[in-house]
Amino acid sequence: MPVPGLPILEGLYPSTMDLYPFEAKEFNRIHPFYENLRQNRFTTTKCKKCGNTPFPPRVVCPKCNSDDLEWVDLPTQGKVLRFTEEVAGVPLGFEAPLIHALVDLGEGRKFISRVINCKEGQLKEGDTVKLAVFEVPPMIIEKRGGVMEESPRVFFAFEPVK
Amino acid sequence: MADRKVCILGGGMSKWGVREASIIDMAQEAAKDCFDDVPALKKEDVDGLLFASSYCGRSAFQVNIAPVIAERTGIKPTSICTRVDTLCAGGSSGIILATGLIKAGMADVVMVSGGEKLYTPQRWETYYSEMASIDHDWEGAQGIGLPPPFFSMTAQEHMKRYGTTKEQLSAVSVKNRRNGSTNPKGHFQKAVTMEEVMAARAVVPPLGLFDCTPITDGCAAVILTHEDKAKELSDKPLVYVRGTAQATLHSMSMNWPGEDLADWVHLRIAAKKAYERARVGPEDIDVAQTHDCFTISEIIEMEDLGFCKKGEGGPFVESGQSDFGGKIPVNTDGGLLACGHPFGGTGIRQACEITMQLQGRAIRQVESAKIGLTHNLSGLNVEHTILIYGREP
Ligand SMILES: [Zn+2]
Repeated sequence: MPVPGLPILEGLYPSTMDLYPFEAKEFNRIHPFYENLRQNRFTTTKCKKCGNTPFPPRVVCPKCNSDDLEWVDLPTQGKVLRFTEEVAGVPLGFEAPLIHALVDLGEGRKFISRVINCKEGQLKEGDTVKLAVFEVPPMIIEKRGGVMEESPRVFFAFEPVK
Repeated sequence: MADRKVCILGGGMSKWGVREASIIDMAQEAAKDCFDDVPALKKEDVDGLLFASSYCGRSAFQVNIAPVIAERTGIKPTSICTRVDTLCAGGSSGIILATGLIKAGMADVVMVSGGEKLYTPQRWETYYSEMASIDHDWEGAQGIGLPPPFFSMTAQEHMKRYGTTKEQLSAVSVKNRRNGSTNPKGHFQKAVTMEEVMAARAVVPPLGLFDCTPITDGCAAVILTHEDKAKELSDKPLVYVRGTAQATLHSMSMNWPGEDLADWVHLRIAAKKAYERARVGPEDIDVAQTHDCFTISEIIEMEDLGFCKKGEGGPFVESGQSDFGGKIPVNTDGGLLACGHPFGGTGIRQACEITMQLQGRAIRQVESAKIGLTHNLSGLNVEHTILIYGREP
């Protein structure tokens, strides 16, 4: 069906409206993160020269500028420090209740993640959550000769440990 | 050539709110209001334009917007004409950059203008675009937009750690909505009572409707120039840019620089630098416009700007210390909570109010104000920007 005001977009993929990262190897150099994610591994890059292990992954060490990096695993379980349940005004692409938690992964790493497979009122501070990987819509990449190829994608959140 | 002293001459705003107008329309309204405020200024005097906007590329489908604004407003810049994007601090970034250019002799008279058209024909697009205004691939894709959830966690942290109450959060909203009730250019002119704020529907608990800045369309503009030109163009008291700072220590939550979400170390770093550059301390500030995107923000800003001790922001606002007659009146024009927050416009709106305060012609005047401060935080609390203005250089 043509989109009102945008009939030219019928059947096309407007990447500027894409919610998820351009994960395909054609569009970034940290694609192993997503390939690892598919194996239920939560990973980042470690600098072989100085040992610095920042998140998100890099292509150059932000500390010593070395580009000799390796992929290492991060913990896939953490503790909920704080959380919020957004019941109204949830952005397109998400469903209410949209739950976010400040998760402590240990090793001095705390960060905000979405919590899925969790009902409103279920989560408590101190709960353990684990990595949850799920499929998201593919990227559409135009190949030579105008051939459209679907590049499958996954993304991550955390979920309560039952 | 020795460094020149830089003055802000005056400024103007379009009407802010839910506007039946485009960003290009509102930029013209703001520029007119600004030229009206500095009657001796002619269009041909202006040799620089910095336009601060973040969403123009998404909600107006216009990038490289500065030449468009210059042409529509009849300005022909010959020193600098560019767009600035620091989301919520874009306008303040523009003023910092203009100050540097004028100081160095690389521009003489610069209009810093900015704002947003946030309402699109379908509202979902605004919320959707918000996910591009934080670290998109890592946090936007988690469904974190501009951040009621983030500031809810910040408020929970401050309440648990320091005993801050919902009433203290509400006191910020009551004060700022009252201050905004006499500001004809702001989004809301209706004051709210403590009872109304406390009973309002929850957005993300503990934050309710009146704890959050609304989504607002609008533009603002100011004029900066060097001291000699300022004397030529203005018959009002001169207001100098005394010191500025902008601190960015991280981009996504895993690299948060503080001990917890209520510990805004990047704000303290920016404040220390801005105070040093302005050769003043927090006790010298007579009036401040701080970034009250959420009520909790203003409370933590009172602490980390040094107006009160860490943890005492709640009692400080509740006892009227940030109100007229208190230690330091804050958000005298209504702040973000009453005026709204068209991102690129906010720092400029704050500069307009501080300029009028220091010139003695504000709508709600702080008596004999000599030194003023503006502050923005941007994005998912990743950046703090401070400017200090004074009647003396
Ligand atoms: Zn390194």
